[in-house]
Amino acid sequence: MSRHERWAAGAVGLMVVAGAAIFLYAPTDYLQGPVQRIFYLHVSSAIAAYGCFTVVLIGGLVYLRRESLVADRFARAGAVVGVVFTTVTLVMGMLWAKPIWGTYWTWDARLTSTLVLWMIYAGYLLVRRLADPGRQAARIAAVVGIFGFVDVPVVHFSVTWWRTQHPGPVVVNDALPPEMLATFLLTMACTLVLAAVLIAIRYRIETLSDERMHLAEEVKVITAPEPRMAP
Amino acid sequence: MTYLIVAYVFAVALLGGFLGWSLRRLRELEGPTSSGLRR
Repeated sequence: MSRHERWAAGAVGLMVVAGAAIFLYAPTDYLQGPVQRIFYLHVSSAIAAYGCFTVVLIGGLVYLRRESLVADRFARAGAVVGVVFTTVTLVMGMLWAKPIWGTYWTWDARLTSTLVLWMIYAGYLLVRRLADPGRQAARIAAVVGIFGFVDVPVVHFSVTWWRTQHPGPVVVNDALPPEMLATFLLTMACTLVLAAVLIAIRYRIETLSDERMHLAEEVKVITAPEPRMAP
Repeated sequence: MTYLIVAYVFAVALLGGFLGWSLRRLRELEGPTSSGLRR
């Protein structure tokens, strides 16, 4: 078992512990019933996505300043993991909204800004995939990642800046009973560990992919026939 | 209850699938290259 596989096994083990707390330890909400348990992973995934997009922001800034390949690889890793966690946030939120609001989706500020966030970083990944790999693609992606981050505080503060249907902050307002708060904090910690492990794995994949691409280019140069001189 | 189960099944499938796919890709890249080249 490799180092990354051991980390992945540890992260999965932690998520199983979090799952046990969500389903066996946390009390059932009096008003919402069992569906309230969606909250624990829904909010934790959103926070993990913020963390991933912060990695993209820092990676982009460092790349533009120093052209550091390490920073660019971290940015690529952070973007794909962030999009996965944003997808979890959106879909779990929709599945919570249906029984509580009676609809899967409403064009509320929090939901709309989260969808925009998902689209910005999906666009970032598309730029990386469609553009020829190199400095130009890395620079464009860095700019998208930096400007895209503007949406992160918009998502986070949308429930306080505008009147929204989405519930407001419950953790900072001491609105959770101790068992629910403990379950939420445990789930958030485990989800952040999983996000960090996923970024580490994706970083290694990006590094090996870059090395393999450079190796293939070197081989192409060595094996290419020499151009013939005109007589 | 159905929504709760569907939500967690989706999350486990997506996160677990992404983790498994990433580990498989990593194992492929850490092995010998398809053209037989080694670093």
